[in-house]
Amino acid sequence: MKRSGLAASDTERAIGEGLPLVFLLLWWLTARSLPSFILPGPIETGETLLQLFIDPAFVGDTLISLARVVAAVILAVILGGALAGLARYVPSTAYAVQRRVLPVLNSFPSVGWAILATFWFQPDSASVIFVETLILIPFCAIALMQGIADMDRELLEMGASFSRSSLKIARKIALPMLLPYVMSSVRIAYGVGWKIALVSELFGVDHGLGYLMLRAEVIGNTAMVFASCFAIVIIFVTGEKLIIDPLARRFAIH
Amino acid sequence: MISVDIERRRRRTANVFTLAILALWFVAGWIEPPYLLPGPANIAERLWDFAIDPHMWVHAAASLAHVIAAVAGSILIGGCLAVAAYYLPVLRLAVHGRLSPFLNSFSGTGWVLLSVLWFGLGGFTVVFSLAMVLIPFAIINVRQGLESIDPELIEMAKSFGHSGLKRFFLIILPALTPFLFSTMRICFGVSWKALLTAELFGGDTGFGRLFNLARQNYDTPLVVTVIVIIVAAVYASDRYLFEPAQARLSAHYEAV
Repeated sequence: MKRSGLAASDTERAIGEGLPLVFLLLWWLTARSLPSFILPGPIETGETLLQLFIDPAFVGDTLISLARVVAAVILAVILGGALAGLARYVPSTAYAVQRRVLPVLNSFPSVGWAILATFWFQPDSASVIFVETLILIPFCAIALMQGIADMDRELLEMGASFSRSSLKIARKIALPMLLPYVMSSVRIAYGVGWKIALVSELFGVDHGLGYLMLRAEVIGNTAMVFASCFAIVIIFVTGEKLIIDPLARRFAIH
Repeated sequence: MISVDIERRRRRTANVFTLAILALWFVAGWIEPPYLLPGPANIAERLWDFAIDPHMWVHAAASLAHVIAAVAGSILIGGCLAVAAYYLPVLRLAVHGRLSPFLNSFSGTGWVLLSVLWFGLGGFTVVFSLAMVLIPFAIINVRQGLESIDPELIEMAKSFGHSGLKRFFLIILPALTPFLFSTMRICFGVSWKALLTAELFGGDTGFGRLFNLARQNYDTPLVVTVIVIIVAAVYASDRYLFEPAQARLSAHYEAV
């Protein structure tokens, strides 16, 4: 029954590749009998989607959302890494990080941060990045804690016997061992960033895909809501295939 | 092995840290106006008001019902899809290579806004949009469970002449139980994160609805009170309900 590892059969491939086509056909047929504000057709949605990538009126929203997610991922990896490092190298803080800070951040509702940020700050890119970073930190910290815990202690000890420079040991031995986990935390944060953290663009700000989506929903422009969601899927998959996957392969432990 | 002394020191540091955060919050709440940062005393007062107001319990019960319905629905749908791909390998690429990655990368906020347009405001909108966020988690976890089943066990069941249905209920379902439980645990945690957005834009009851009212009235204490309740509920349920239950379940299945 279990067939993992085997190449996909022709039938499996036909069904797999045919599914999106059947879905598009069903969508097109259903949309023909429904008004556009309920279900726009795939062609109308496709045209709106194209606008998000080529129309100067919308491309700024797409790019600013991308820039915010990327900035938040970088900050979350740095801050999550700092928390993971603190828990490991200042052992007395381990409980505070693992049983106080992370559980609270992890269960803190995303929209809670977004609303609090509207009370605390002027809505702009910095407040969006603040919210997205806070949502992503626990995901990065947990992945990096695992990375630090899995580091080969004997290799570090061997490094210490060859050099007294802890900076050199960190750069030459610890960092290469940690990089796969850094990439895994980048991958998780990038996914969650597009999936959940976009909520931060729903309140106050006047640019970004979240803002576009909400404005489109209010005026009943369902094609734009769909197009924004598909734009996110496209940017997410492209970023993962073109940047994260090659980097992960490069930094993988061989 | 960590000595008792180090363990005690770690606990003490964690408690001191918690007290320091509370003290900082108290000072900041005292300096800032309540609409910016309500202090712990203000929140404690609002928590008490919340506890004695039956209207608030209706919202809490509605949120819990939304989460339970969405988790149950997503495990059922995601589980069925994963099982279908397991029994009919020709569906494997369609389910795991197309459907699951697509749902996994589709924005949760997008589902909320689309379901508001399709179904209007109400409980169904909230449960639908939450379930769409949770289904890929269920597919991935149940798939992992199915792939970890020992093929020799299934071969043995076949040699005893058990039918496919009997094999499913006697071998596969029991072997899947720990994975179904961990799926439920993951979905429960994720659903609380997405719930408020769904209720804020698509619900007519629940914590998200309270959030919406609080946001419009600049009622920051109510926002923080709801956050405190959610953080406490999620933390307590995971630590004191799901964690021990999963440990017991794992011990049982390892013993078997």
